[in-house]
Amino acid sequence: MTDVSGRPEGGSSRGTWALIVLLLTPAVVVPLLVPLYDSEDPTLFGFPFYYWFQMALIPAAVVLTGLAYSLAKRADHRDREARRARRNGGRA
Amino acid sequence: MSGVSTITFSVFLFFFLLVTILGFAAARWRRAKALDNLDEWGLGGRGFGTFIAWFLIGGDLYTAYTFVAVPALLYAGSSIGFFAVPYTIVVYPLIFLFLPRLWSVSHRHSYVTPADFVQGRYDSKPLALAVAITGILATMPYIALQLVGIEVVLQVMGIGTDSDNWFTKDLPLFIAFAVLAAYTYSSGLRAPALIAFVKDALIYIVIFVAIIYLPTQLGGWDNIFGTTMDSFDKFNSTNADAIASGAASPKGAIPPPLLHWAYASLALGSALALFMYPHSVTAVLSTRERSVIRRNAALLPAYSFLLGLLALLGFVAIAAGVQVTNPQQAVPQLFENEFPDWFAGVAFAAIVIGALVPAAIMSIAAANLWTRNIYKAFINRNATHAQEAQQAKVASLLVKFGALAFVLFVSTTYALDLQLLGGVWILQTFPAIVIGLYTRFFHRWALLAGWAVGMVYGTWTAYNNPKVGDPGSHFGSPLDPFLSVPWSDWLPFDTLMYIGFTALLLNLVVTTALSLVLRAMNVSAGVDQTHPDDYHADLGDEGVEEELNPEAPAHA
Repeated sequence: MTDVSGRPEGGSSRGTWALIVLLLTPAVVVPLLVPLYDSEDPTLFGFPFYYWFQMALIPAAVVLTGLAYSLAKRADHRDREARRARRNGGRA
Repeated sequence: MSGVSTITFSVFLFFFLLVTILGFAAARWRRAKALDNLDEWGLGGRGFGTFIAWFLIGGDLYTAYTFVAVPALLYAGSSIGFFAVPYTIVVYPLIFLFLPRLWSVSHRHSYVTPADFVQGRYDSKPLALAVAITGILATMPYIALQLVGIEVVLQVMGIGTDSDNWFTKDLPLFIAFAVLAAYTYSSGLRAPALIAFVKDALIYIVIFVAIIYLPTQLGGWDNIFGTTMDSFDKFNSTNADAIASGAASPKGAIPPPLLHWAYASLALGSALALFMYPHSVTAVLSTRERSVIRRNAALLPAYSFLLGLLALLGFVAIAAGVQVTNPQQAVPQLFENEFPDWFAGVAFAAIVIGALVPAAIMSIAAANLWTRNIYKAFINRNATHAQEAQQAKVASLLVKFGALAFVLFVSTTYALDLQLLGGVWILQTFPAIVIGLYTRFFHRWALLAGWAVGMVYGTWTAYNNPKVGDPGSHFGSPLDPFLSVPWSDWLPFDTLMYIGFTALLLNLVVTTALSLVLRAMNVSAGVDQTHPDDYHADLGDEGVEEELNPEAPAHA
């Protein structure tokens, strides 16, 4: 162990991780806000609002999670490079 | 009950015999030299790779839970029944955030179970034992839910229901159960892995036919919703007196304000519980690299959409005029009424096999937990591979018998309550596992105390909850007035809440308070084996193996 002090989420990717959490938050919070959608109207294809709204949240969550995935992949890569550089720097 | 046609029964029996043969033949599939070690029996030789994560996590959703338990709630007019949809939306972002950290630290340190991680992080054998026991205990009612699914299909087919004798009545269930136990015992994880191919094929066919064909037969979705709302309104007006006196619950399709928090806490509580079950953790840790978890989290919600439509089959059954006293029979009865005989047989086989596969996987995961974290950690530290495999096999039998006890002794009016009872318990490991992935602020003894408080409160409250209209009965509902303790009057809450969620909040309060006290008193917090970098390790990093080796010492 050459470096124990540095936080892994250092430098440039910290903002990306904040953005990822920001993207995922509505996917967790909105489905739990029942007063937002507990009504029958407006209906869509015969589905009361309560039902179609919750079904519609699924593709919305997929889009948000998908975006978060592509961001996380790049941020993870950057963090690993940074960790590797730090380790090698410590050794030198 | 008159029973079903010979054709339906023959088709059903054909598929049941097919999976039974497959189950026993699985021992020879991708044959290893010997099945007498835990690696082979409990992890299928670790040869399944990424695929296992797909069918294990996806398989958690498509079980008797989807086909029987969730539609039963909607059929019965329980306005909170649709919570399974927000539950399966909320769970994936949480998996996205939490589980890559668990993956990394587990691969760096060869942790195979959540209890391994807790031992390494907190250096506390009692805490790891508590986590292991909780995992085993919580798995039993989840398996019980699968058995209830099998039971109702058999009832709808009229098998065994003619008799008043409880033994004859339950005999078919015992037979199905014994067959399951026998091939799991002999083939281990290979059995459900092989049967899963049949299961998935059958289930997808039945799902697509059910959600496309049935609504067209019943005048479309607006007619289905209209008929359902009318029938609920009619029930509420004819039973107004009983509802007012509390002897019956009002029916509804949308939760009233009193149940908003119940709905949200059931969804969030179930989501937090799902990925701490032993079988989910096994699935997630078996993925090849870290990013597979996140990719799955973005792809798996597609399942939730089908789950939502399947849940609505409860309303379809109402619109189709299905009359059953046990709401769990609604969907099987719907299939029998609306499908041609042969396809009803396929549908029944799909439900039963869809229950057998997860039941097998869950019992194996629980057995691995027993062998690794209880038997090897406490009873026989120098166990040979053969002894370990033997322990796991016997444990898988005991777990299934535990599940059978739940079916026989706990109210199964709503099988979903069984799963929610398991959730009450597994949620109490959240502070040690999930919060432990981020911070070591919580003290190991405080975590143990918080766990104990949550377990006792949750179990006691659930036990004392009577069924509506049946005072003195037990385990009647997963909901309770928020903090049903004498001093809660001053709280600004007059709402129902999922017991597991309330117990978790109580657990967190106790854990936080005691952590502060124990830290102030300088009680030893033990040695943390893990390093902050471990939580980000990925395939290709130093010390990270593609496959976890369950024979490696957990605490290296």
